[in-house]
Amino acid sequence: MKILKQYKAILFVAGVLTFAACAHEDQPGESQLDYSQPQKTALDNWITTNYLVPYNINAQYKWNQNTVDNNRFLFPPMISSVQPALDVVKQIWLDSYSKIGGADFVKKIAPREIVLVGGVNSNTNGTRTLGIADSGQRITLFEVDYLDKTNRFNVTEFIHTIQHEYVHILNQNKPFDEQAWQKISPGDYTGTWHLEELEDSRNLGFVTNYARNNIIEDFAETASTILTSSKAEYAMLLASITEESGRQKLKQKEALVVQYYKDAFNIDFYALRDQAEKNTNNVVNN
Amino acid sequence: MKLKNIFKYLMVAFLAIHLLGSCASDTEAEPKFDKTPVERLNEQKSELNTALLSSEFGWKAVYFTDDTQLGGYTHLFKFSADGKVQMASDFDDDTKTYQSTYNIVLGSTVSLLFDTYNRIHLLSDSNSFPPGTALQGKGYLGDFQFLYYGRENEDILFKSNRLVRDIRFVKATAQDWADLPKNLDMEQNVIGGDNRPLFRLLETNDGKATHIYEFSFNAATRFAISKSIDAGSSDVIDMGVGYNPTGIVVSPAVEVGGQKLTNFVYNDTDGSFKATGTNGVSATIKYSSKPLVLTDEYKLLLPGSANNVYAYIYNYTKPEPANSALFLTLLANAEALAGTGVMIQRIQPWFNNPDGTSYIEYRFAAVSNPAVVIARRYHYFTIQSNATNKTVTLVPGVWKSTATAAAPVIATPSFLKALDDEFMNPQGLYFAKTPVTGYTAYTFTSTTTPFRMVAYSFQ
Repeated sequence: MKILKQYKAILFVAGVLTFAACAHEDQPGESQLDYSQPQKTALDNWITTNYLVPYNINAQYKWNQNTVDNNRFLFPPMISSVQPALDVVKQIWLDSYSKIGGADFVKKIAPREIVLVGGVNSNTNGTRTLGIADSGQRITLFEVDYLDKTNRFNVTEFIHTIQHEYVHILNQNKPFDEQAWQKISPGDYTGTWHLEELEDSRNLGFVTNYARNNIIEDFAETASTILTSSKAEYAMLLASITEESGRQKLKQKEALVVQYYKDAFNIDFYALRDQAEKNTNNVVNN
Repeated sequence: MKLKNIFKYLMVAFLAIHLLGSCASDTEAEPKFDKTPVERLNEQKSELNTALLSSEFGWKAVYFTDDTQLGGYTHLFKFSADGKVQMASDFDDDTKTYQSTYNIVLGSTVSLLFDTYNRIHLLSDSNSFPPGTALQGKGYLGDFQFLYYGRENEDILFKSNRLVRDIRFVKATAQDWADLPKNLDMEQNVIGGDNRPLFRLLETNDGKATHIYEFSFNAATRFAISKSIDAGSSDVIDMGVGYNPTGIVVSPAVEVGGQKLTNFVYNDTDGSFKATGTNGVSATIKYSSKPLVLTDEYKLLLPGSANNVYAYIYNYTKPEPANSALFLTLLANAEALAGTGVMIQRIQPWFNNPDGTSYIEYRFAAVSNPAVVIARRYHYFTIQSNATNKTVTLVPGVWKSTATAAAPVIATPSFLKALDDEFMNPQGLYFAKTPVTGYTAYTFTSTTTPFRMVAYSFQ
């Protein structure tokens, strides 16, 4: 016991000495990083009021090389293009879903950031990329400087991207019935969709060529195309299909989309479409 | 010794080593800098910001986006403390000043970023690239984020973010802003004009010897390529060209006699651009009415050669770029004077016909029916040559409307005189093969005026 006591004492002394000896280390002081907030302009305040506070979505218009593809030759939008573009997005996408799905709908399920790029994103195969969604967190919209609010086709093309990507986000939250979808046009999906003819794709039961990439894109394209067309326009699209089997397949897919919105989110899909059309008219005519 | 003693000594030894070792600070590395990285970055950021704001009239930069294939674009910047920048450039005719924002951000190093749209972004638009190049989808290879590389005297040095090209900001003067449109006037001088002599060369003088290069400039890319005319030489001098009110600045520099020449001064009298070094070293871009390389092809036209025939043909040789503006203007004037609805279908010089004559045949047709010849005019000539200059002179003879010995002489057709005088130039003509596709052609070029006609060779 005496030995144990001795050892305990030695250890105790050693411990105290160690602490004391090493107590001269530097302590961290004031931060040297500059975390002062930059000056907010009227545009920044508008974004805060209309995007940040109500929906917790950030809209980035100033260039940040970390959020874009540096191998492409892109450029930021003109300051004067930013608010009109964000206004279009808000009215036709955010406000439509809020009205039909409830004020909190978009707050809970949404991308957290929208990045605006002024110029055209050209691909080597001659096509243009209109928008990119990064794993549900960020949507990048291109050609913001060329948006013409008075041109309905131009506005619709711009909105189509957000509607399409948002459907993906909804799917990631609550999956749609992939098994049922797969049965409708099983053999006609292809990785070289960009080489296909639109008429052929429609005859096979696909609303666009891109829908033929896989069933996930098929669902998003079908939903977003219906959402960005008026009732009359979509009826015309269906009527223009020459193959009756193709038209029937599209109608089956449409039914699945409507069913999904009702079951997963209790949203009347056609009411959502009508609201979006109303808001689009509002934007184009004002 | 006893086990418990061994343990005791071991314990003490461990403790001693631990105490000694734990607080030893000599395992730390020698600091290279006396400040932390954050401190140094913050210093650089504020140093750059202060520098940008320090020039009363802002900064001027001639931005060569890629001097292996493109030229220089002059930009003027005026930065203000609220993060705004006023900018103008000579990228196109719009030299007005526009406002946008800038920021000093940390990229691969402290960098100046133009983060909203302005004139500099015109160089980085995948949809707008120089026509006729392989730059589809790459715009003009421009960047708008510039990495800060320090100061040299009063200048600020940058490198572009992606292609890592040097850019130098020089303090601008009020005159620079007022004179920016003059850059585009100078562009016209670099392109050349229809009234200038036909041949253009770059002549380098290293103080001992001169070398001649054939000079050609592409305005869409602002890039000039000069090929050596020395036999057997494949030497090529490439230059990206930037404009200024008094001449041009080039990158990469032209190396002559060990010196690097970049500034060429324009002389409006002869349209030349000259860069001067020391000890007689210079480089000059100038015009010549003499071909850079003289050939012996004129001998094909001389008496003793075959019955060689050549022709300007309205639907065959007219589109060739080697036809000079003066020739095309004189042709159009002659056609207008000939009568309404009349065109010149062919201009066909015949050399050494079997009956010993030579003449230029002018064939006329109706514009509505160009295949059918409605009239002909023949201007007879005899031929002289000059072996030193390698030229031929057509000595004018009579005019006829039918090419037979019995046919009567007619008066000189007044509407053809101006055009025809070029061929009958007493100083002579150059005759040389010219590259075309699908057939053989030669040019008749005046020794004194910028007149040049491409002619189809029937042999």
